[in-house]
Amino acid sequence: MPEGTFCNKKPIETEEALKALLGDTGGKQYYEEMLSLDVDRDLLWKTIQNTLKSRLKTWLEICAHCGMCADSCFLYLINDQDPKQVPAYKIQSTLGEIVKRKGNVDNAFMRMVMETAWAKCTCCNRCGMYCPHGIDMGIMFGYLRGLCYQQGFVPWEMKIGAGMHRVYRAQMDVTDEDFVETFEWMVEEYEEDYPGLEVPVDKKGADILYTVNAREVKHYPEDLAEAAILFHLAGENWTVPTSGWEQTSLAMFAGDWAACKMQVEHVYAAMERLKPKRMVGTECGHAHRATVVEGPYWAGRSSGKPPVESIHYVEWLAEALREGKLKIDPAKRLKVPVTLQDSCNYVRNNGLKDVTREIMSYIVEPGYFKEMTPNKEHNYCCGGGGGFNGIGLFRPQRNKALITKRDQLLYSGAEMVIAPCHNCWDAIRDLEEEYEIGIRWSFLKPLVINMVEIPEHFKPKE
Amino acid sequence: MYDFVTGPLFWLSLGICLIGMLVRFILYFKGLSWQLDRVAYKAYPIQGLKGAMTSILRWLIPFGTYGWRKQPFMTVIFFGFHLGAVLVPLFLLAHNLFIEEKLGFSFITLNPLLADVLSWTVVVSAALLALRRIALPEVRILTTSYDYFILLISVAPFITGLLARYTLGNYTFWLTVHILCGEVLMIAIPFTKLSHIVLFFASRAQLGMDYAIKRGGMKGKGMAW
Amino acid sequence: MFKKILFATSATEASDHAARVAFNMAHTYDAHLDIFHVLGVPTRGFSQVVLDVKTKEKVVLDDEYVAWVEEEIKVHYTKQLETTKKYSIKVAIGLPHREVLRAARELKPDLIVMGGSTGGDEDSVYKKSMVGSTLQRVAKVAPCPVLVVNRPAASFWGGMSNVVFGTDFSKASDAAFQFALKLVKALSCELHIFHALDISNMQTGRILSQDEIESKIRESLRRIRGRYISEIKGISNYSFEVWEGIPYVEVVKYAREVHADLIIMAHHTRKTSQKDTRLGSNIEQVIVRAGCPVISINR
Repeated sequence: MPEGTFCNKKPIETEEALKALLGDTGGKQYYEEMLSLDVDRDLLWKTIQNTLKSRLKTWLEICAHCGMCADSCFLYLINDQDPKQVPAYKIQSTLGEIVKRKGNVDNAFMRMVMETAWAKCTCCNRCGMYCPHGIDMGIMFGYLRGLCYQQGFVPWEMKIGAGMHRVYRAQMDVTDEDFVETFEWMVEEYEEDYPGLEVPVDKKGADILYTVNAREVKHYPEDLAEAAILFHLAGENWTVPTSGWEQTSLAMFAGDWAACKMQVEHVYAAMERLKPKRMVGTECGHAHRATVVEGPYWAGRSSGKPPVESIHYVEWLAEALREGKLKIDPAKRLKVPVTLQDSCNYVRNNGLKDVTREIMSYIVEPGYFKEMTPNKEHNYCCGGGGGFNGIGLFRPQRNKALITKRDQLLYSGAEMVIAPCHNCWDAIRDLEEEYEIGIRWSFLKPLVINMVEIPEHFKPKE
Repeated sequence: MYDFVTGPLFWLSLGICLIGMLVRFILYFKGLSWQLDRVAYKAYPIQGLKGAMTSILRWLIPFGTYGWRKQPFMTVIFFGFHLGAVLVPLFLLAHNLFIEEKLGFSFITLNPLLADVLSWTVVVSAALLALRRIALPEVRILTTSYDYFILLISVAPFITGLLARYTLGNYTFWLTVHILCGEVLMIAIPFTKLSHIVLFFASRAQLGMDYAIKRGGMKGKGMAW
Repeated sequence: MFKKILFATSATEASDHAARVAFNMAHTYDAHLDIFHVLGVPTRGFSQVVLDVKTKEKVVLDDEYVAWVEEEIKVHYTKQLETTKKYSIKVAIGLPHREVLRAARELKPDLIVMGGSTGGDEDSVYKKSMVGSTLQRVAKVAPCPVLVVNRPAASFWGGMSNVVFGTDFSKASDAAFQFALKLVKALSCELHIFHALDISNMQTGRILSQDEIESKIRESLRRIRGRYISEIKGISNYSFEVWEGIPYVEVVKYAREVHADLIIMAHHTRKTSQKDTRLGSNIEQVIVRAGCPVISINR
């Protein structure tokens, strides 16, 4: 069957289609239909000819089969060093094969490719650092996911996620009204504690344009309140856009490049409409990667930069602490052994390793910060990146992958881990649920709010 | 036979090798696309260049990167092989006498004892590399006959060269075979994985640029390779 | 007085005493009862797998499951629903306190009724990542008064005739007082105003002499007169007292003494911190120990 009702090559573009696909509980029918989904070989080969150029081609050809990438990959290590998990093998047996066969592959092969691309790689890009030739297999898997998506061989939740972005320009069914309403609601709740707290909406020419993760709106709205409070206490001239407020991109995990483009252009439009001095994102790794690092290229910007200088939340926070806009009460610093999760998307892939550590120096009592091993840009993936956290079909593999981080946490001797990234935060929460090692985990915002000194004029009057 | 391999075949193989390497190098960079690769190469040329250089140089130093340090045995045999494989063909006295005659110039030459040591190291390292391919499962799964073939044609000139150098058996025979092996190698370079002789630099440069321009190089100390 | 009541329930025995009160009030005051239940917490980033709070199992959420849970709730409260005229059942996913507050914002009830904190440390994992119980977080910012029935002993059968209003003379207490007045007038109850003089070392830094205590008591009585008695109009049955001791102990004792059916206090713990969870502020201790329902007001 060339195209199923749910499993087909068409992206989800309407609310009805989205609801219909969501209704297929667990993707039952979807995956059944996938068993007989045809491969459009012509399209596959044509796409490869158009998009697989020098860099990728050379990477595939020049791999010396040296195997040095093996123990750089946490999935190889955690799966008892299964040779089939060697990054070079994973990519050569999938993308390498497709190219060798000029796209002449069948349904079973593509399903194997789907499993490799979404359950055997989180695109953490660590292998690229350990290859003598500098071959980045994480990037190749990203490219491969694009090919899979185009052919319809994409995990159920990923297709939904990409669909969400196409329909709502957000990773969940949260509308612009929901967003503004929730933000205003949060501010109302906390107004008494922080007089003067407000959320400026669509203010032109502000210093900061704040963008968030739709999950915060739906499930953790306290995060929005905390962000508002911290901007308020730091005296920032900030605003949120009524439209273009969602920074994340499940479409990136899904390999839906067209949707990625639509999503980032939506955010850039907000930047151009409101002309802030800077855009500050929330504590989310892939949101930063999608909107700030990769985004400009999807939108065709040759400078490689968004329309407005855009920074991750940790960059803003470090700056606020450094410049004294936020002052920490030394007596309230963390006095338990604390470690730090280095999220791949903005540490390895955007150089913020020292920024997060600068923040640690302010909020952790000296002597209590324990590094993980390895750390900084050499740290391992949390186990849930690249969409791994969300895909039900590959839950067992994901749970196995969490062991890497679990062992790192145990070895570090920390009681608490700070994870300024929604995916990492989720992964660690699931890790604790699964393995119960007794670790506490947190974003930065709630911790900082508890220890920041409130200037007199911001204190509530009795 | 000897005249043939030191005459027309020499020119042919040298030409193919040099022109081939140049072509591959140029084609590589021409084929880079800032949009498809998602790296703004042209927007930040200086940072890109610095990133490219760091990326290349760190990996040229034994144990110069986390990658090398994680694999000490591999690092030793890798550099054991490559050091001699690069230095001996270029700087051996005998080779330089030859190219002085053919091209009118020569490079500096190696101390003969050093040349011997390097050549033996190449052969031993090659053997260990082959052994590594057999013994380690993570390498074995990747290894194909093509890899052994490449290793063979790379080490053949050294084996035959040593045989000639120690005048074991018929000197002229081994010398001719040695020259033939060398020319086979030169011709193979642009068309096989041996193109990594130039493409290593190209590929590393690309990744260096990627990290320097897009993935954080402009935000602090840069990638700690 | 109460036209709309939001009853947040776990739909288990743990909420039964709160249920008794909620249904009772709905009958007595002919109010519309919104029965609200949070069935699970989303586990994975955005997938439909939800951790059911009751069974602690992961379930895939779909319309069928929601309908089934709603049915379960109906069954659990069959008896009470027989005599309830106006009600609705709503089920939601999310972190309980957040969803209760969201429902409150939407439905705009006059009162939220909840049971006390359920579960201990071994409870579901989402609690580990959050500080403060559902109750704390709801009471802190709810847009309307929150009535808490913490113990079975605290639920009542009949109507209300004796209301205790506990004050610490704060602004929040003034708001609570206004509410207490309204309620007492509407339901024709006796109002008992009470202030506990905190003589613990923590508060004063030293042990007070008996003279000092008695002079403070007199001062507090004066304050009650000035601040509250002057506002009482149209209420014939009222009294006021000041006792010294540990505040929450005294409030509970006083309530017992006057046979209170209801305690009304202001909730003004500013922050829910890890420390406070265990000690609790005064109102939290009162909620935990009182022999009758407690209404907490924060604005």
